[in-house]
Formats: sequence, C-alpha cells, structure tokens
Amino acid sequence: MNTTYPFAAIVGQDRMKLALVLNVINPLLSGVLIRGEKGTGKSTACRALAEVLPEIEVLKDSAFMLSPEEVSSGFWQHCHNGTQAQYDLRKVSVVELPVGATEDRVVGTLDLEQALTKGEKRFEPGLLARAHRGFLYVDEVNLLDDHVVDLLLDSAAMGVNSVEREGVSFTHPARFTLVGTMNPEEGELRPQLLDRFGLCVNVAGINDPGQRVEVMERRAAFDQDGEAFTQKWQEESAELADKIIRAKELLPSVEADREILTAIARLCIETGIDGHRGDIIILKTAKTLAAWQGRTQVEAQDVDIAAELALPHRMRRQPFSEMGSAPIGAIG
Amino acid sequence: MVYPFAAIVGQEQMKLALLLNAIDPLIGGVLIRGQKGTAKSTAVRGLAHLLPAQSVVRDCLCACDPSHPESFCPDCLRLSEAGTDLPQTQRSTPVIELPLNATEDMVLGSFDFEKALQKGARVFQPGLLAKAHRGFLYVDEVNLLVDHLVDVIMDAAGSGMNIVEREGISFQHASRFALVGTMNPEEGELRPQLLDRFGLCVAVEGEQDIETRAQLLEQREKFDADQAAHAESCRTASQSISEAITAAGSALVEVVIESHIRSFISNLCLENNVAGHRADLVLQRAARALAAYEGRTKVSEEDVARIAPMVFLHRRREAQSPPPPPPPQSQLQSEQDNPRDDETSDPRESQPPPSQHDSDSQPENQDSPDNSDSDQTNTADMGAEQDAVFSIGDTFKVRSIQSAQDRKLRTGSGRRSISRSSTRRGRYSRSAMSGANNDLALDATVRAAAIHQVHRPERRGMALAIERVDWRFKIRETRMSNFLLFVVDASGSMGAQARMVAVKGAVMSLLLDAYQKRDKIAMISFRGDDAELILPPTSSIETSARLLAELPVGGRTPLAEGIKTAQHELLRQLRREPECRPIALLVTDGKANSSQSGGSPWSHALKCAALAGADQRVRWVVVDTEAKGGMSLGLARQLAGSLNAEYFETEQLKARELIDLVRS
Repeated sequence: MNTTYPFAAIVGQDRMKLALVLNVINPLLSGVLIRGEKGTGKSTACRALAEVLPEIEVLKDSAFMLSPEEVSSGFWQHCHNGTQAQYDLRKVSVVELPVGATEDRVVGTLDLEQALTKGEKRFEPGLLARAHRGFLYVDEVNLLDDHVVDLLLDSAAMGVNSVEREGVSFTHPARFTLVGTMNPEEGELRPQLLDRFGLCVNVAGINDPGQRVEVMERRAAFDQDGEAFTQKWQEESAELADKIIRAKELLPSVEADREILTAIARLCIETGIDGHRGDIIILKTAKTLAAWQGRTQVEAQDVDIAAELALPHRMRRQPFSEMGSAPIGAIG
Repeated sequence: MVYPFAAIVGQEQMKLALLLNAIDPLIGGVLIRGQKGTAKSTAVRGLAHLLPAQSVVRDCLCACDPSHPESFCPDCLRLSEAGTDLPQTQRSTPVIELPLNATEDMVLGSFDFEKALQKGARVFQPGLLAKAHRGFLYVDEVNLLVDHLVDVIMDAAGSGMNIVEREGISFQHASRFALVGTMNPEEGELRPQLLDRFGLCVAVEGEQDIETRAQLLEQREKFDADQAAHAESCRTASQSISEAITAAGSALVEVVIESHIRSFISNLCLENNVAGHRADLVLQRAARALAAYEGRTKVSEEDVARIAPMVFLHRRREAQSPPPPPPPQSQLQSEQDNPRDDETSDPRESQPPPSQHDSDSQPENQDSPDNSDSDQTNTADMGAEQDAVFSIGDTFKVRSIQSAQDRKLRTGSGRRSISRSSTRRGRYSRSAMSGANNDLALDATVRAAAIHQVHRPERRGMALAIERVDWRFKIRETRMSNFLLFVVDASGSMGAQARMVAVKGAVMSLLLDAYQKRDKIAMISFRGDDAELILPPTSSIETSARLLAELPVGGRTPLAEGIKTAQHELLRQLRREPECRPIALLVTDGKANSSQSGGSPWSHALKCAALAGADQRVRWVVVDTEAKGGMSLGLARQLAGSLNAEYFETEQLKARELIDLVRS
C-alpha cells in the first residue's frame, strides 16, 4: 500500500522533471521551486523522486546523517570518541516538512524526558538534522508559517543549523536541497525565500489530448495495482537512476570557458537581477546539464536552458511586483 | 568550510567596514544592508578566521580580560580578591552568531538546570552575550529578529554590561561586543534606536562589471570544486590581511588626530544633521583605524571623508518638513477652481514617484470628475459616468496600528499585535500549572519541587525528586499578524484635486506595512450605488497592490453600504477564524451622498457605523482623506466617533521618525 507512483512514469512536465533530476545530480544547485495549478503532478514528482536517488555513506546510529568527511574533519568529534566510526549505505532521504510544523520540531530542541528523569541536557534533533545531505520537501511552501520560513532561510544560507533554545546550545550541519511546491493563487513567496531556491519551474496542465489520455490510463493502472505498475516501470526507473549516477561521476570534470562565464555575467546584468546568486546558479546548472548529457564542456545551449530555469523567480525584485514569466532572450 | 574573506571579489566598502571593526572593536560594529546574494553573510563568516588572538582568564565562562580587573565577572572577582593568580590562555577573537530561533534565556544566560537537578546547585549558565564578550555578535537578517531580543541586545550593547535578573538568578558580567548585522531592507526596517547602535552602515549591491562578475564566478567554482585547495591558494592573501589587522590594532594608540581634523569631523556631523554625538565618536575612531591600517600615524581629511558615508548612511535625519502653510483666507471661494491643495496634489510635482512602483499612468486630474469638496448636490449627475484611475502616490512608513492584548492563546505568527502564544515561541513572560505543548518552565518546576524535597526520600541519582505536580509550563507572548480589512472610498469626491493619488499612496503604505507584518488582508471598495468585496481574504499582497493600482474612482458615496459590507465580511472572517483579531481600515472623507435605504445617507451611515462599532472583536481605524483647512466638514471624525474607531488624517499615518533611511 505504500507504493509511490514511479518518477519515470510521469507523463510530460519535462521541465519539472529535469529541474528535479539536476538537483539530484548536483546538490549545490540549492533546490527547486515548482509553481503551478492544482493537479499537475507537482507533489507526485517530488514524492517519487526518492526512488531514483543514489546511495550515500552515513554514520551509523546517528541522527545527523553525517558523511565520513564530516566525521573525520573533526566537525563532529564527540560522535566517535576514540572508537572506529562505522558507516551505513543509505539512500539520500526526502524529508517532508509539514506546513503546520512547529519551530522546535524543525530545528530541534531540548529532550524533555532526559531533562526530567535524568537531569541531563540532551539535544533532540529536528527535521533539519534528518534532511542533511538530502531533500527537504515542503508542499504548499507559500503557506508555511512565517517564522519557520525564516528558520529555513537561516540554515539554507550556510548549511548549518545552530540552535539556542531552552538551555541547549547546539550546532550541526544541515545542508539540504530545498524542494517546494506552491500554487501562486494562494499568495507569493517572499523574495528572500524565492532567492534561496536555485531553480524555478512553472507547470501547467498538459494541452495535448493524447498525453492527457495517457495520464489517465497510467493513473488508473497504478490505482488498480500499484505494485504491478511499479514493477512494469522498474526498468525505466533503474535506467534513470543509473544515468543520474553516471552524470554525478562526470560532473567534477565538466568545464566552462571564460566566454561562457562572461556570457552568464552579461545576461545577469542585462536582466537586472539582485545579487550574484543567479550567476552562480546558472553556471552550476549549465555544468550539471552538460554532465547529464554526457559532455564535459559547457555549451551555449546549456546556459540558455540554465537561465530559463534559474532566472524567472529572480526577476521579481520587489515584494509587490508580480512574478511574470518574463521572456528571456535566446531561448528556443 | 567557510569561503575565505580574501577571496571575496569586489564589495570593497563592506570589507573595509568589517576590517576597521576588527582593528578597533569599539567602533561599534557594522550594519550591512543590501540585496540578496551579495556575500553579506559570507564576508562576516570569513572575517572570523582573520581575527587576532586575545588573552582570557582560563575557564572563565565570561571570557574576562586578565589585564582589566575592573571588568571581571563575579567569579573572577571573587578569585582575584582571594589573592589567587588567575590562569591565562589565548583564544581567537570570537564571532558569535545569534540564530533567529534563539530564546531569551540563551541570549542573556540563565540558570543551569543540569546542575540544579543533579547537584542542587544554583549556577549561572552564561548565554550568547557572554560568549560574544570582546568579540563580535553577528545577527543574520537582523530585521527579522523578534522585538524582545532586539531590546535585550540593545541594552547590552549600550551599557557594555549584561545584567541578569530572572529565573531566580542574579548575575552580571561585562559584555562588550561589536554588533554586526545583515539585512535586506525589503523585509522591513530596523528601529532607529537599534540602528544607532551600529557604528557603521554600508549598502551593498551586486557588481555591475562583467569581468568582475565572471571573476567572481570563477572563484566560486574553484571553491566548490575543492575547498581545501582553494583555501590554500589564497592563504598568503588571508595571512597578510590577518597580520595587517593585528599590526594596525597595536599601532592604534600612536595615530594622532589633530585638532583641525576634529573640527572637520564635528562640522561634517552638523552638516549631516545627525542626532546625538555617537556619529562624531565613531567617525573619529574609524578614521583612526583606517590610518593605522594603511600604516600612517596621522589621520587625514581624506580618511575622514572616506569613512563619513558609512557613518552617516543610517544616522542622517530627515530634514524638518515645514509646517503646512495656512490656507489663504481670501481665496476660499476660488479654491475649487484651483487644482492645488497644500497636502494632496504635491507628491507628483515636487517629488519623483517612488521608483519601485510602476507609475506610468499619470493621473489625469484635469479630466477627472471635477466635483469640489463643498459641492455635494452636484456630484450625482457629474461623477457618475466619468471614472478615472489615479496612479499610486508616494509611500511612507506608517505608524504602528495594532489590536489590544487579550488572554487568548493563538498559534499564528507574524509581527503586528502582541498575543499569548500556544506555540513554543515568543518571550517567556511567566509560568503556570497547566500549559500547552509540553513547554516546560524548568526554573519554576525546580522551585516548585524544592519545597517538597523533605518528604521525598527517593532521588534516583538526582539532587531533586521531581513529580508530575511540580511541573510548570511557560506562558509566552509574541507578536502575531492580524486580519486587515481595507474599506476604501472610491467615489467621485475622492478624485477631486487628484487627492486619490495621495490616498492610494497611503493605502499602498499600509499594504507594505501589512506585508512586513505578514498580515492577511481583504479589500472592499464603495462607489456609485454599492460596495464590493474586490479582494477576498488572502495573504497575496501582490494582488491587492495590483487591484489598488487599477481601482477606478467616480460616482456617489454609498458610505453606509461600505460599512455594512465590511461588517458582513468581518463577521464571516470571525466565524472562519475566531481568533484572527480583525482591524478594519476605513479610508474615506465621510461625504456620504447615496444610500439604498432612501433616507438621509449621512444619518444612515452613522447608524450603520454605530452598529458596526459595537462589535468589540473588531478594531476600527478611520483614515480621513478630506482636505484640511478652509471648509473641512469633519465628517470622518464624527464617523470615527460612531464607529468607536481610532481617527487619523492621512498625514498622521506617517510614523514619526527622525531618521531617513531610504536613500537607495
């Protein structure tokens, strides 16, 4: 009963799928915001993502999802005081942040039971600890309680969650890829949070009747027998996961010419976006795209697609101006 | 791994301001204002690795300076008075980060419950203010910090002391730190009081040069590809900065400030009309640090001139606006022919329109219904068909409007009115026997348990035996958002003399304020025969801003219908969210001249107002848009009386602030 709809079986919505896959390949893209109407497969895609995620090494018996580097760099000494640290292979996790989550559950807080029965100060980790090195998924992110948004900004900015609450003072790494979905009819996000999402895609219902029928058929088949359906798509899913791993391996060797860099800089100055995060994200996205297509050299077309993914939500400069899907030159 | 300070491309002003503070922390910190993604936080975090070492008393939790016995904390004082030689150690200057989630006890310090429960000892556990002593206190997004924390920090920054009297603890220690804050002005401004605590202030923007931007991209990619190698590649640069800071710090005392430089400084401060003397002192210190940093022993006028913009950016006072000229008595009769009015028609002419709001459609006030203020009988046949759309006038910072405090628990967030909170957030005001959310007040629990200890022999390894009856919970207060209902008069009389431009400016200002306080809003406009809910309750302020820009003006004034529709909507909202604390803002000149009931429109409006005003759950605010002076009828004030509402003229909505920040 716990089967999720396979990622590979989602019909259409190529932009959205591409943006998600790019984030799996390169966690430094810092997330994607999916804007669109109801019933366009936004949440389905995000939940299905878990299945195609690669595996990572994680410190055993620890709630903080630490990598071997983090343990050995001394960032986390007290975890293995003297003893040999052991690691598990685990899939990258997708942690869902419910809209009604309270602050103490998000950042973590004092472990009350330990405090009262043993008189000990112990930190009880929150969702941000579990989301470290993984995905933090917020459905309807624009409805999130405002101060929780501030907390997310705080840790998304530097990849560290520091807690100063109720007698506990604690810091742990929290680098996560923020994935949010929203329906713009319910209100926009604050520009500050928008900027933290590396990429942004607008999704709409599919207009092609053939594809719409396809959506219905697949959905019906899935509802009838989820397991069999997933089985049927097994091969495609495995292939996708493989391709992601190959791209991940290729990514460090992808290079971009100086001309590509100046082209990106020029584009960002011309569109008049705030700050430099846009530039950085475009370059990273272009590199990731090249890796995804098995190349080691960034081409101009990569930059075009990257700009299309990284700029729309950055064009809105003031809290009040509406977010139009402003046309960006040279995009085919 | 932190991105190295030395590898930050551009942003010279910001880097200089931070370096000056590293050389002389008594400059008092720096506020970095700017857009998203301009390396604000990166710079501050990078700086931490370049700071010089300092000697401290070993194991002292308040980081006392061994060479300054006069500022010892109580523990060190006791030891040194007893004749003990205090052990010393070196540490690097701390940069302590204040996370937005911090609770007040962690900032100030509070009692250590671990020691209390296990050993029965009452011990002070120092907070962030102690950790930041002799270093930097860094607040990212300082404008989002909750008010009570702002107060606490301001207090310590001002006095250099942290005095704790809470939770059964009485303790004080020195806490002198340079306050470093970053903020994005879009999300709301800081209070002037806090602004002044920052020694320097810089505004940052993205680099506009293509080559610089490309270089920045290159650096960033190198860093992301291999952090260790990148750090290695800029090690010499980092080291030379770090050495320069240390050298300049010890050379500070030798830098001379001649008297003509001092008078230059004070003249500058006078010219810039700053409040108080902090600007003079900061300017002097910072100029000295700059001279020391550049290896000179004399402060030059050029040093002062380079620093001055950072000192004045956040301190410059708004020039006193001249009082509105008294209306020329002899011209009263001709006023209606003259499309000038001392408060309403000016914004378009004397000041440029605010750049952030699109104002391409200038008001066509010559074509607009030309019905005058005092001429009510004619409006019916004149204004009805001629609708006009006015642009949005200048916006301003509005005064604080909030609802009264009650005893209800709420779960929301936001930043308008104070409420008791049922979430574990907000200021811990007191404790109670029952509480929501397992929000245990340990101090009160320990106190409650203490008196029963004689009768509880079994301790389970703890100094105190605590039972369920001892549990005390925190009662917290925090600011929360409200439901704001805008009721806007869009009748023809509002269009007279382009008054609607200023009115829209005022409503826009209120909307901006609502955005920063995260309110939910709805909007009703009334004109012609009826009132209409043009914006159902939403958090989408973008839509409301667009609707406001498009709002046409013209027709009669069905004031009573406006109030009735508002009341209806308020009741509906209260049924849906009984704890939403609505504030209704009625923007009108009060000149009712239309009513569906048939009787006198004005008396009908008053009747409806009295009815609506009787609902205690709603707070009404009347914004009077009538032109003052001359023939003002004061109808809106009368209306406010019936509504039991607060009454403001448009001008009075402006927050009375001394400091003009809006420069960029």
